Amino acid sequence: MTNRARSNAMFSKLRTGAVIFALALVPVLGAQAQEVIKIGIPTGLSGANSVVAPSVVQSAELAVDEINAAGGILGKKVALEVADDGSGAAGAQKAADSLIFQKKVNALISMQTSAARNGMLPVVSRGKVPYIYTSLYEGRSCNKYLYADGAVPEQMVGPIVDHFMDEYKAKTFFLVGSDYAFGRGMLAFTKAYIEKKGGKVVGDEYQPMDATDWTAIISKMRSANPDAVIFSTAGGAPNVTLQKQYKAAGMKAPVGNLSVDEGTAKTMAADADGVFISASFLTNIDTSANKKFMSAMKAKFGDKLLTPNDLSVPEYDAVYLYKAAVEKAKTTTAEPVIAALAEVSFDGPRGKVQMNAQRHAPLTMYLGQVQADGSVKIVKSFPNVSPGEQCPKL
Amino acid sequence: MADLTTTPATLPRRAFSGRLVPAGSIAGLCIVAVVAGPYFLDSYTVNILVRSFLYAATALTVDILWGYAGILTFGQAAFFGIGAYAAGITFTYMDFSPQTAVLALLAGLAVSAVVAWITGWISFFHRASPLYVAIVTLALPIILVQVLYSGGTFTGSSSGLVGYNTFDLSVEAWFTICGIGLVVLTTAAWFFVNSDFGRLLIAIRENEQRCTYLGINAPRVKILLMVVMAMIASVAGYAYAGYTVVVAPEIGSFVFGTELVMWVALGGRGTLIGPVLGTIAIDVISAYLSGNLPYVWKLIIGSIFVLVIVALPQGIVPVLKTGLRRLWSAATRRDAAPCVAVPALIEAPEGRRAGTGSDAPALNVADLACSYGSLKVLEGVAFKALGSELLGIIGPNGAGKTTLMRCLSDGYERTGGTVAVFGHAIARTPPQGVVGLGIGRSFQTTSLFETLTVAESLRLARYRLDGTRMLSHAPTLALPDSARRVITATGLDRQLAIECRHLSHGMKRALELAMVLALEPSVLLLDEPTAGLTKPERTLIGSILVDLVQREGLCTLIIEHDLDFVREISTRIIVLHQGKVLLDGSVAEVVGSELVRTIYAGGAHQELAP
Amino acid sequence: MTALVLDIVTTAAILFAVASGLLIILGVLKIVNFAHGGFLTIGGYSGLVVTQLGLNAWLAYPAAVVAGIVMGAVVERFVIRPLYDRPLDAILATWGLGIIIGQLITIVFGREIQFVQTPITGATSVFGETYSLYRLFLILAAAAVAGGIAALLNATRLGLEARAVIMNEPLARGLGINSGHVRFVTFCIGAGLASLAGALITPLSSVDPNMGVPWLVNAFMLVLVSSVSLASLAIAALTLGGAQVLVSTFISPVIGGLTIVVLAALLLRIRPAGFGHG
Repeated sequence: MTNRARSNAMFSKLRTGAVIFALALVPVLGAQAQEVIKIGIPTGLSGANSVVAPSVVQSAELAVDEINAAGGILGKKVALEVADDGSGAAGAQKAADSLIFQKKVNALISMQTSAARNGMLPVVSRGKVPYIYTSLYEGRSCNKYLYADGAVPEQMVGPIVDHFMDEYKAKTFFLVGSDYAFGRGMLAFTKAYIEKKGGKVVGDEYQPMDATDWTAIISKMRSANPDAVIFSTAGGAPNVTLQKQYKAAGMKAPVGNLSVDEGTAKTMAADADGVFISASFLTNIDTSANKKFMSAMKAKFGDKLLTPNDLSVPEYDAVYLYKAAVEKAKTTTAEPVIAALAEVSFDGPRGKVQMNAQRHAPLTMYLGQVQADGSVKIVKSFPNVSPGEQCPKL
Repeated sequence: MADLTTTPATLPRRAFSGRLVPAGSIAGLCIVAVVAGPYFLDSYTVNILVRSFLYAATALTVDILWGYAGILTFGQAAFFGIGAYAAGITFTYMDFSPQTAVLALLAGLAVSAVVAWITGWISFFHRASPLYVAIVTLALPIILVQVLYSGGTFTGSSSGLVGYNTFDLSVEAWFTICGIGLVVLTTAAWFFVNSDFGRLLIAIRENEQRCTYLGINAPRVKILLMVVMAMIASVAGYAYAGYTVVVAPEIGSFVFGTELVMWVALGGRGTLIGPVLGTIAIDVISAYLSGNLPYVWKLIIGSIFVLVIVALPQGIVPVLKTGLRRLWSAATRRDAAPCVAVPALIEAPEGRRAGTGSDAPALNVADLACSYGSLKVLEGVAFKALGSELLGIIGPNGAGKTTLMRCLSDGYERTGGTVAVFGHAIARTPPQGVVGLGIGRSFQTTSLFETLTVAESLRLARYRLDGTRMLSHAPTLALPDSARRVITATGLDRQLAIECRHLSHGMKRALELAMVLALEPSVLLLDEPTAGLTKPERTLIGSILVDLVQREGLCTLIIEHDLDFVREISTRIIVLHQGKVLLDGSVAEVVGSELVRTIYAGGAHQELAP
Repeated sequence: MTALVLDIVTTAAILFAVASGLLIILGVLKIVNFAHGGFLTIGGYSGLVVTQLGLNAWLAYPAAVVAGIVMGAVVERFVIRPLYDRPLDAILATWGLGIIIGQLITIVFGREIQFVQTPITGATSVFGETYSLYRLFLILAAAAVAGGIAALLNATRLGLEARAVIMNEPLARGLGINSGHVRFVTFCIGAGLASLAGALITPLSSVDPNMGVPWLVNAFMLVLVSSVSLASLAIAALTLGGAQVLVSTFISPVIGGLTIVVLAALLLRIRPAGFGHG
């Protein structure tokens, strides 16, 4: 945003004047129209994320129902606007355009791929709405309007790698990821972590996000013969196909999966048997808050309930965090809400969550292992893990 | 029309300015609309329209390639993507400044030009099937996306690049800039397709082979067109990256490439305005509807698309246009037929014939052979022909006469032997190159360009020598004396504005001959130039030919069935039989030959009997 | 090494199965069927329906064939038939059909990625290498498809007529062959084969409404370089598919994804007849 030719400046000023005039009218008109607070959920209903996105929507629906039943936010009802971001950057831009400028949402709260999040950020900056990102991700995404309440590599990688080194005496690791911000970021951190701990990475391979044929990579893994493998693909199809094809190829090394959630694990069942996952939420967490959440979900969705998981439950938390921030700021205006978001906390199924660590949240992490029936057994827990240095400048 | 010849020079200019005024005023109105747009439209629509304008500009390039030049392309998405990534990569790694902005634009233009040139080189070659270019351009975006994927963190792989610094412009400013850009581009495109060069594109679409025999390097024209269209698409992509602050593989993908083709097909291929309006309408409606009924909307678009392709291949806009025009004529009781510009005929400068002053024989054929698999059509054919010779080639059906013509005019046809024109071997030269050596060929079956006028057809034949205008019609048409004589003698000069399909058969044959003569050949190959003509017409053509040979020293080979005619005009006769030269001698020798009588008595042609 | 050879052979088998339906349609109808991806998807979802109804996983294959043939019949009658004289338009119309099929499937089944059960699970040992049993089964399946088509072409009256139409359509019509009927039946069979291929590939990955599209271009390229001959198609699948596996394994899977398209395009530029004769 550096240069601006003089004539352009003149031109923009004229336009800006017109826009300011138009915007000045909006609150006047809006005051009567807006009796609800609208939360936009741009998420991957199609594409890579389509396996988990519906469960994210369910989480948000429960939170909104509960909030509305308890009187809404500042006396206003809350409504959801769901849009498909196609799991990619271009789709996310269209979704954000539509939500912010057409549907005029007050905030965006959503689980998305890193590609979609990055694609949306310029639109969010232009539209000036608070944006809570609720997916576990590769970390270090920093923007004035952005908060994140999911886990980052600093919180996820340690439990799995330590377990492989301690329990399986693993020395050599093979890493496989989807070739985008999440896959690359996660595995770069993992590689550094393994090497710091004295292990060796014997291969790291990437495929495009929509790739579903892993034949060549499995064959490389077979010849590298690692003690353990770690996957960090896009959620959904790449994840499931890799896991299936790995199992079908008869590979035996233990698998740690940084991108599988409990819901997806359940659909894979036998194919994911024995896989280790690292999560801030598992359905078996033994707290009263979680039991209350689980039974509320079952009551609301019955047969249609999709397994709540580490990608969907942060969405539930985030809706409540937004509610708390708006109530603290006593307005839905972006600036005060953004300031308040760091100060409020919510006690939910994952325990107490507060996004006070450079826009990110310290979390209690669990090491889980997928069982043959698709359920996840909690192996260990690690309370209050810090997200580390994420956005020191914000 | 009758006094065309007396006041020809004033007409075209009037016609041209007649086009300029309405086109200019429509463009002016559109520019007013895009400047005023932001004050009337809500910010969401303005926002969507900026994107639609850029898509529409790209769809326009698809329309020129597909609708006008007949090149079905899925590849314009790739060039859009290249322009966008040039901006994204430059701004990400070198930051934004006026210098890097220019650098990124130039980089996008350069890369897309090179890629388009390579794509063109792969797709367009002598005898390439039109399906082949569709395949190659289909592969192009797929390859681009894989290249972007394999760029790893440099290209951002699946996530693309986002959040770089870019032009500090408001959405409204983008709207006005892109809107004006689109109007200017569409106007320029309109002048382009209606220019002489635009006619050339249509001629290539309708009959590429015939064009190559007029010395037009059709592959090169198509490659050039593809390069220019790629560069335009790249500028649209560049603006897209500057506006959205994101580049992702989707914008250069195969799916986007097919969407562009769909928008063009729905709007109406070959209409320019159809694809532009179609793209804008569909993209804006999609933006509004896809949120509420995403699949149903796509289903509707898909169904309409199939319906249009099957039932209305010309698209929706032309149908509306015809309807409006009918209403207009009904209301005003006036025929809204467009005014056709007629150029003034002038004399072409002399002395550009190939081979003038050469000592070598005009045509030297040695050991020529042509076979299809095991079938030998020509074998061991050898003869020489000199300037001022009118060589009649006769023989029964299947003797290989037309194949001989083919082998002389296209370096790829023969399977053995050599052909030299004024000492230059034609080697493996495609027809357009052989024309450059001095050979002009007319065809047995009349193969003219149905929708082109007589003047346009003649101009086509002059493209090799005179070039062409890109945005307008030339007011004059230079023709060599010989071609002008054919035209005036047959009365074609009074029908210059008539489309070829409305000509009588005799006129078509005369035009065919005039077109070949307009090439200013040194060696003329005529395949039954008088077939189907009346006796007086035949005599006329015959006398023109004899005159040409005598006055201009043209070496002429003529295939004829009518032996009387051949005998009257030829200076020498070659008899082909079963692919071999049976006899090569003077008219008297051949006509008197027993051998020739025997062969012809076996079957074919009565005409031989004296 | 063994694994590499098996990868090549199984990849070629999959490519062959996917491309065969496209091949016979191009051969007899002389049109490029871009709805091929849609028919693959129909096959994949036939497998999903079988899974959801809790039926035997093997039933997915006959179900896919039937679904494909029925769809093919409808499509031929209403879309393909008017476009015989406009081959470039046929590409576009069939692409539009692919979109329609994708959207209808989305409306019925939802757009998310879903999974089908595999009739054969697990791995077996081949020359000391553990290898996926299902991939090995695909070699058999491709061979069966090839054998089926060959038998149909060589041992039935329809096959004879189809071959006649492939070689010289005007002549065939002159000999009293009802080429319209031959086209119809061929299109149905081609659609059925595509659908079967869709059901065969889904247990390896997953089904989603756009699953057919990535396969379309590779299949299309293979068919073009094999100039309408089953044997050439097998050779093309083996060489180009083999090149893909080698590039994926030794250079990069991403570049591997390009191998077939690039090699085929260049091959066609240098030798327009591809792997065929002539």
